Amino acid sequence: MTAVEERLHPSPGPPGKDSARRPKKAVAADDGVILQVRGLRKVYEVEDEKVVALGKISLQIKKGEICCILGTSGSGKSTLLNIMAGLEKPTRGHVIIAGREVTAMSEKELAVFRRQNIGFIFQSYNLMPQDTALENVAMPLVFKGVPKKEREARAKKMLARVGLKGRMKHRPSQMSGGQQQRVGIARAFISQPPVVFADEPTGNLDSHTTTEVMEMIVRMARRYHETLIIVTHDGDIARYADRIVRLVDGAIVSDTENVSVVPREEPETVDQPAQTQSKRTKPLADSKQGQNQTKG
Amino acid sequence: MNDIKKARPAGKSPPARRNRNPGHSSPSKAHRPDKGMTRRDTILMCIKNLCRRKVRTILTVSGVIIGTCAITVMVSLGLGMQKTLEETLAQLGDLTIINIYNYGTSTEQPLNDEMLDTIRLQDGVVAVTPVYNTYASRWGNYTFSNGKYTYDGQIVGVDFDALRSMGYTFVEGDFPTGENGYEGVFVIGQDSLYSYTDKKGNYVQQTTKADGSPSDPPVNVMKDKLTLTINKSDQSNTKKQPSFKITCTGILTSDYQRNPSTYGVFMDIHYVKSLEKEYNKYNGVKVDKNKVEAYDNVVVKVQSMGDVQEVEDYIKSFGYNTNSMESVRKPIQDQANQQQMILGSLGAISLFVAALSITNTMVMSVYERTREIGVMKVLGCSLSDIRGVFLMEAGTIGFTGGVIGVGISYIVSFIINHYGGMGGDSGGMLGMASIGGSSIIPFWLALGAIAFATLVGLLSGFSPANRAVKISALSAIKQE
Ligand SMILES: Nc1ncnc2c1ncn2[C@@H]1O[C@H](COP(=O)(O)OP(=O)(O)O)[C@@H](O)[C@H]1O
Ligand SMILES: [Mg+2]
Repeated sequence: MTAVEERLHPSPGPPGKDSARRPKKAVAADDGVILQVRGLRKVYEVEDEKVVALGKISLQIKKGEICCILGTSGSGKSTLLNIMAGLEKPTRGHVIIAGREVTAMSEKELAVFRRQNIGFIFQSYNLMPQDTALENVAMPLVFKGVPKKEREARAKKMLARVGLKGRMKHRPSQMSGGQQQRVGIARAFISQPPVVFADEPTGNLDSHTTTEVMEMIVRMARRYHETLIIVTHDGDIARYADRIVRLVDGAIVSDTENVSVVPREEPETVDQPAQTQSKRTKPLADSKQGQNQTKG
Repeated sequence: MNDIKKARPAGKSPPARRNRNPGHSSPSKAHRPDKGMTRRDTILMCIKNLCRRKVRTILTVSGVIIGTCAITVMVSLGLGMQKTLEETLAQLGDLTIINIYNYGTSTEQPLNDEMLDTIRLQDGVVAVTPVYNTYASRWGNYTFSNGKYTYDGQIVGVDFDALRSMGYTFVEGDFPTGENGYEGVFVIGQDSLYSYTDKKGNYVQQTTKADGSPSDPPVNVMKDKLTLTINKSDQSNTKKQPSFKITCTGILTSDYQRNPSTYGVFMDIHYVKSLEKEYNKYNGVKVDKNKVEAYDNVVVKVQSMGDVQEVEDYIKSFGYNTNSMESVRKPIQDQANQQQMILGSLGAISLFVAALSITNTMVMSVYERTREIGVMKVLGCSLSDIRGVFLMEAGTIGFTGGVIGVGISYIVSFIINHYGGMGGDSGGMLGMASIGGSSIIPFWLALGAIAFATLVGLLSGFSPANRAVKISALSAIKQE
């Protein structure tokens, strides 16, 4: 690490309780940075053979930013995301979210930290098969000990927001992939966590549904002013992000701002999905342009 | 890498741009302390999970039902056996009585009041009374009569307080209350009601009335005025014989198994001793001061049968001879205990099998739900909550099985008791020829069986629950 970088990423204070959850003052020095990745390395050992999944990744993500981690299959995207979300421990390096070092937490601390700070959208939705859409969305609140009445009211609101008002009592098996993922989105955002991670959220969906789902995710993040980190191999999806980080063989090869974010306008006041917006989206060229800029 | 980072234009600040809508974030979130799942939700989740795999749950619960049933019925048979046994033993006499005999036992420690106090202080001892015999009438030092007939039996000095706890029953009246001391009061045994001589010195015979019932006793002890007179040892003694008014407070029901027996007149030991002094004074008897006072026979009552052995050994350690029903009771009880152990073990084995099946079910369940547990972890479920859900599932299986099992046990018990075909036959089969055949399920057994089944459930669920806790959050993400 260079001296400059060291200055840019000062060591976080002791991960005390007061620094948990959006400590605006603590991060103020970092210009609204909510997530810091420093010198991250992950090596898998498979039968004496070492697989370097992540080289030495450093990254800063600002509060409210929608960041896309783009890369081909096996480039280490999921590994990076999992480590950032505290699901996996790195071989070396640190992850700091909201001023707290995730990589130094015990399993016990992580559980509490996750339910207070992190939302997660899965590729395969991962809904509880026996639970209704409503129960699935309310689940993170169950783990927080929120009373049934309150959490169901909040879950209903969330389901309405993802356009599933009429599917409250449906079980996952009674819903399409797109609908299931919308339940997943509602679940990820219900406790309004500062950071939401999504690993290939549209990986199991067709292109039309992909657009629908992506717009919904982005709209949610913008609405609640949440930081969103999306992992994908699909360049189309990158168009929705403010920023695109390209990963090749476990290393960041480019980190660019997406100048032509779609949808352009934040439909903050609109609750129903605006289908027309998808038609206005621009082709993939935007992100490629961005990449060229950085390389120059 | 640093180049790339620096290359990123820092100008645009998304947060600043989007801060228009800050009111939306974390409404009222900070007010509630985050303690994880509520008990109610844990229970609901557990029930839901159990209902999800109905067949498996039912099968596992059935195992517990059978186990609980087996253990309850077996123990209930054991209890029935024990009851029969106790009834049999009760016919042998009071099993918590130890007799101390001191006839000619030369010992350093005389069996006197001081020694009785020592024995009284021993753990498990309820009461101690001397049995101090003396004779009335012709051979004795005293005479007591209603003026017409003279009592001809023995007078026994006892401790009424001790006797009261020894389970005597009365035909009429009761022990003296002792409110006004024990002077001049007595109780009489039913077997002594005809032990009188008339004025000529002839024994009064018990005859039969015309209707076949026995003739009334010659003296109505409860009603007649009775006097006790100190006898002359030397007919030349011309001093007036001292006499005392005495009152009977009760007639002890005849019971041949007891010591002191229900033959005789019972008076307070101190009163009997004071009468003895009166006698010595009246007749000018010189008492050898060096002669140590010692009782020939003392009766000790202990708390329970379990105390007999220890107390008896303690008394023996002073060099006295003792006697109790222990030598009869112990071998019978030992054999019964052994049979009960066999019964209990049979039940325990089946509950153990049930425990294995609970563990198996839970392990399967954890294995199947690996992904779900991973998702729960990603969503921030506390480790203790995950453990709680699984422990509760196992505990619920145990509890449900226990409740139903106990219910069925009551039915089985009813059948054994009322259509008792099983009693003698299977009892014989298990090597319990004479005893057995009745089944008793007391409340504590029912409650204990349910608690035990629940405990077995919890213990069986312990390792699977820990296994669930150890499942990585990554399991949610891995594609199988
Ligand atoms: N648990 C693991 N054990 C061994 N190697 C792994 C494991 N997880 C991922 N890898 C390897 O790490 C690299 C990056 O994987 P991953 O992060 O899943 O890639 P992506 O999500 O970009 O497709 C791959 O080469 C993969 O084989
Ligand atoms: Mg992946």
